[in-house]
Amino acid sequence: MADDGFMVIAVAIDEAVDDVRVLADGITYPVLMDPDHILTETYAISNVPAVVWIDEQGRIARPNASEFGSDMFSEFTGRTCQGHFDQIRAWVHDGVVPDDADSEIADLSDDEVAARLHFRLAAHLRRAGNEEGAARHFDAAAKLAPLDFTVVRAAMPLRGESPFGEEFFKLLEEYQAAGSPFHGITPA
Amino acid sequence: MTTITILGDEVATATGEWVDGRPLIEPDALSAAVGWSLKPEGLCRGDQCVLVGDGSAIRVGDKLDLAAVANAVDQPTVVDPGASVVVLGQPNATRQAALRDRQAPDFTLVDLDGAERSLSDYAGKKRLLVAFSNW
Repeated sequence: MADDGFMVIAVAIDEAVDDVRVLADGITYPVLMDPDHILTETYAISNVPAVVWIDEQGRIARPNASEFGSDMFSEFTGRTCQGHFDQIRAWVHDGVVPDDADSEIADLSDDEVAARLHFRLAAHLRRAGNEEGAARHFDAAAKLAPLDFTVVRAAMPLRGESPFGEEFFKLLEEYQAAGSPFHGITPA
Repeated sequence: MTTITILGDEVATATGEWVDGRPLIEPDALSAAVGWSLKPEGLCRGDQCVLVGDGSAIRVGDKLDLAAVANAVDQPTVVDPGASVVVLGQPNATRQAALRDRQAPDFTLVDLDGAERSLSDYAGKKRLLVAFSNW
C-alpha cells in the first residue's frame, strides 16, 4: 500500500539500538528509537504494541489501539492481525474507519506522567554510570505507575532483569487482576 | 554554584544552585535551559506568553526556580537535587490535544542510522504509527 499515500512509522520504546536493528532487519519503512519515552508521554501509551492512525492532515483518525503485526500472540489475545490489516486497507482506499475510532482515551494521571519522567531520569543516570540513582528512579516510577508496561516492564532489561522472567509474570498477573488497564482501544 | 542538567526536548545545562530542593538559575540562563524567557509580559516562547503576575511564584531572590517556571507553563517536572538533574516533561496541553482534539503531536526521534526524523516529515500521507519494543 506504499504507493497509495500510506506508510508505517515504527517507534521502538527501547534503549539498545542493536537489539532493535535485529528486529528491523529487512524493513523498509522508518524505524525510530525512543529511549526517553517521549511518545509514551505525548500519546499516553502504556503498553506495546500500540498503533495510532494519523491522517494526511495530522489528525488522529483512530487513537491508541492494541494491535499486533503478526499472529505470534494470537493464542494469548484471541485475535488475528488480519482484521486490523483489512481495516487499514478500508481506511487507505475508501477513508472508512471502524466504529471504535471514536473511542475516547483516558488522559494520563499526574502520577502516570511523573512515572514517565522518573523513568527518563533513571535512563539518563544509568547511561551516566550512576546505577544507584537509576535504581532509585526506576523504583519511584514503578511505585507511581505499577501496572504500566512502558514504565515497569521497560525497566526490566535496564535493571538486569529478564522482561520474560518472574518479574514479568508477576506484573502480568497484577495487571490482569486489575482488569488490564490500558490507555487505548483493546479490540474484542 | 553548580551545574544543573535539564532533560527536556534537548539535554541542556545551566549554572545554578539548589536551595531547599529547588533548582535556581539566573534569569538570563532560562531561555537556553527550557526554551522560555522571562519578559515584562510573562514567560514567553515564540509568540506565546504565559502571565506570571508579579513573578513571585517563580522568583527566589534574584534567581528563578526552574520547577516553578515549568509549573507556570504547565510542563511537569521531576527533580533530583543530589544528581543535580531536572526532568522537564512535555506540555500537558500537547497530550490533551491529542486525546481530546485528535491533533497528533509532532515528535522528532533518530532512526537506526542516527538521522533525525519527524512525524511531520511525512505529512500528506496516511500514517500508521506503531509503538513496539524488544521487551
